Amino acid sequence: MDECQSAIPAHDGDLHVVAAAHHIVKALGTTKNLSDDLRKILIDLDAHLSLITSNIDSKGGKGFVEVEERLKRVERKIVIWESDRIMIWDSGPKEASNYLEAVDEVQTLIDSLRGLSMNENQKQKELLHRASSLLQMAMSRLEEELIHMLVKHKQQSGPTCMPSPSSQRNVVYHESVVSLDNESAKEASSKNFCSDECGEYIVDLVPEHVILDIKSIAKVMFASDYGQEFCEAFIGVRKEALEQHFDILENGKLSIEDVLKMEWCSLSTEMNKWTWSMKIIFGVYLMSEKRLCDQVLGEFGSVNSFCFLEIAKTTILCLLNFGEAIAMGPQEPEKLLRLLDMYETLADLVIDIDALFSENGGSFVRLEFHKLLEGLADSVKAAFNAFRVAVSSNGSLYPFPGGGVHPLSKYVMNYISMFPEYCSTLNLLLEDQHSDVASLVSEPQCGPTASLSTSCAMACHLRSITSSLESNLHKKSKLYKDEALQHIFLMNNLHYMVQKVKGSELRPFFGDEWIRKHNAKFQQHEMNYERVTWSSVVSLLKDDNPGSSSLSKSAFKEKCKGFSVAFEEVYKNQTSWCIPDPQLREDLRISTSLKVVHAYRTFLGRNPAHVDDKCIKHTVEDVEKLLLDLFEGSPRSLRNSRRMMKT
Amino acid sequence: MDTQEQELEDIELFQKHVSDRFTELSSPPEDDALLSVSWLHRLLDVFLCCEAEFEAILIMDRDPSQLSKPPFDRLIPEFIERAVKALDICNAVANGVDSVRHCQKLSEIVISALDQNPLGDGHAKRAKKALLMLLSAMNLDDKEGTHVKATERSWSFGRRGVNKEQIAGHFRSLSWQVAKNWSSAKQIQSMIYNLVAPRGAEASGLPSPIYTMNVIMIFVMWAMVAAIPCQERNGLPTHFPVPKQLNWAHSLIGLQEKIADEWKKKEKKGMSGLLDELQKMEKLAQSLIDFTDSFHFPGDAEKVKEAAANVSELKEIFRRMDQGLTPLQMHIREVFHRIVRSRTEFLDVLEKGSAPAL
Repeated sequence: MDECQSAIPAHDGDLHVVAAAHHIVKALGTTKNLSDDLRKILIDLDAHLSLITSNIDSKGGKGFVEVEERLKRVERKIVIWESDRIMIWDSGPKEASNYLEAVDEVQTLIDSLRGLSMNENQKQKELLHRASSLLQMAMSRLEEELIHMLVKHKQQSGPTCMPSPSSQRNVVYHESVVSLDNESAKEASSKNFCSDECGEYIVDLVPEHVILDIKSIAKVMFASDYGQEFCEAFIGVRKEALEQHFDILENGKLSIEDVLKMEWCSLSTEMNKWTWSMKIIFGVYLMSEKRLCDQVLGEFGSVNSFCFLEIAKTTILCLLNFGEAIAMGPQEPEKLLRLLDMYETLADLVIDIDALFSENGGSFVRLEFHKLLEGLADSVKAAFNAFRVAVSSNGSLYPFPGGGVHPLSKYVMNYISMFPEYCSTLNLLLEDQHSDVASLVSEPQCGPTASLSTSCAMACHLRSITSSLESNLHKKSKLYKDEALQHIFLMNNLHYMVQKVKGSELRPFFGDEWIRKHNAKFQQHEMNYERVTWSSVVSLLKDDNPGSSSLSKSAFKEKCKGFSVAFEEVYKNQTSWCIPDPQLREDLRISTSLKVVHAYRTFLGRNPAHVDDKCIKHTVEDVEKLLLDLFEGSPRSLRNSRRMMKT
Repeated sequence: MDTQEQELEDIELFQKHVSDRFTELSSPPEDDALLSVSWLHRLLDVFLCCEAEFEAILIMDRDPSQLSKPPFDRLIPEFIERAVKALDICNAVANGVDSVRHCQKLSEIVISALDQNPLGDGHAKRAKKALLMLLSAMNLDDKEGTHVKATERSWSFGRRGVNKEQIAGHFRSLSWQVAKNWSSAKQIQSMIYNLVAPRGAEASGLPSPIYTMNVIMIFVMWAMVAAIPCQERNGLPTHFPVPKQLNWAHSLIGLQEKIADEWKKKEKKGMSGLLDELQKMEKLAQSLIDFTDSFHFPGDAEKVKEAAANVSELKEIFRRMDQGLTPLQMHIREVFHRIVRSRTEFLDVLEKGSAPAL
């Protein structure tokens, strides 16, 4: 046993063994059924172990020499960087891993110093203190390195698929659009393009090799119970990075009050920006940020989702707030398309949101966005309803001059021609709206054929709206005193409606039968017009006595005059009338011409004797030409016409 | 009993409930100090209860056209406008709670650092770093332009050139503004604007509970703004033009004056929120920072003991914040949604009331 005295443990590993052995011996010593031999051995062992440890004590911690040496060595490695202006991780991977190894060593030393049960030993306390101060220094340095790394490698520009929001077509659908022709109106209000192009798109927010470095720092910091500092730094820089990206998207920082007071043009722009930002932030940045957090913090449990939430919170609350403000607002008809965009975007993203915030801490995010989705659904329904009401209640005090296509018709038809783009959403949201319309919805709303059916919810509502429009137009037509003009007006407008349906994506929803029916309607008005205007005029030329050969001069004169007066009357009135559609105009002229010119020619032909009479104001050719002036929309008098014809 | 009498009774009952609830709030038990997290929870509960009763009186079983006639054609829209302003305040305060949570997080580091035996220089340094960030986060408050971006403090110009503690503290303060140039103080001011107690015949009719609810809403928003740091609180009004003769208002006015006094005191020193836990945390942080500044291992035994006591207190505050802050945010969201719903109900009533008879 004398050998024991010289076998003073020189390494801390040995110290561990001594302590452990001592512990075991003491524990065994309490066993009841020990044989005497065993007991003797244990007592001996106990004595020797105590001797060893007291040796160390009395020799003033000589056993800690090795520990102290190691501490000194590692101190040098760490302290040397404190006076350096260069960042460790900028100096190369070898330096970095050396530093981390050094930190590891410090932690190991601390662990083993703590592991000893010799609490009264002064040297031990001193060494422990030195080591933990060193650790703090290293941790502080690692924090700096981390921040430096994160800041340096922040991805500045956005992912390549993103055109800026300003390049989007962003014309607001407005009353002024009614003056645009078909094509440009369609273009003006088209959905945000790139809507399906980007989808989910994960980018490297931080380069791959940097992530590994960050992870290595994380590991060390968490192992030393400095995980909180790591998270502080990490969240700080990542949060700022996300917010910088968000700033680029130029969402105006708006209070709810601001949004509720905003005028439509600006609001429409903001709604567009929101739709776009939602796609980019959730679909691209947050997906990518989540992946980054998973990579860096994946092994540290709930810290991962906590950090992600803290990084994302401010940005998503800003987006949420705007959405809520919109859902609160008065839902005017012109908002409908933008609301549909917002609704569809959020409906698409809600799955991603659920996935990103699947942990407990993020449940309020999921809840709030689901609530918002409902709110937007209600808003869409309200705006749609407001549109219906606007269509039917649009009143006029005065008849529309010229009897042409009423701005209301243009507004309504142009507007609804953009609805088919949102067909599936509208079908979903309008399904139970308005029982009188809903009852017409017979086909199922799901399945590939549903949206093409003329009896899907949207189609039923559209036909209901056009039906409203028709009734309204009928009311407006009654404002005209002239019955002929009433028919011209209705003919023009119904024709316009049919053309719009035929020439747009509305066609499958209205169906051929509707087109046929409405063709017949405007043709009916055409015929009514002719009857009302020309029947009486033409009847003046009628042959009272079909049997007799010709009229007397005075009778002829009378008839001639009567015809001229009537004709001129019509001319005076109806040149200021308008038939905007050239084809329709042509049809009506031809039809009129056939009737009137033919009757006149026949009349003159029946009375050849009087043909050269001065009482004949107009020749057949004159009448033909004059008829061409009708429905041009500019009032004329015959005198102008005559002068023109003479020259 | 006819509807008129029933209505008067309902109104009286409502006022009494209001009075009772605010009296309760005025004498909080030990744990529930004025403007503590749990007190704020109770305040929000009071708001929700009063609002529910208020809506019942005004809307339930009532012919909408009644509320479209004078003076309601003015009073209801005014109430709705104030409600919208309150919504923005809810958002500002909920965001402010986030910055308090940040303080909570920082205090956690302080606790980890100082809750060591024996306490070493390294621990003290760690604590000091966190304490500096904590103090700066608390006092940054809400002025626009004080939010300095981390990247502006260029890390590249070397490590010794800047005070790292100061930089790091700026990281997470108040980066979400409600809106540019928005001010919570001005918002409260505009809510108070035009608030006139009903007089004469109106004082005994429906205008009275409308006035009451207005006052309650303003008070609740005001108290939250005073407690929680949020955007631009400079110039927060400290006086409410509520006549003292109103029976139901006594406790509320008392509370308001108490809080206003505190506000005026603190305003001179530079603001963090009046939140009880935050105030206590600030005091503790101050004394702990003095301690860490002067600490050298093994340190003065008395001082170490004192510091340990402070850390103990800090732990308690941390615990209260940990338990109460996130629920507080949820509670504020609840209030937010309730106000939105209430606004919608009143708008509906106005619409129905003004629709021409068919």
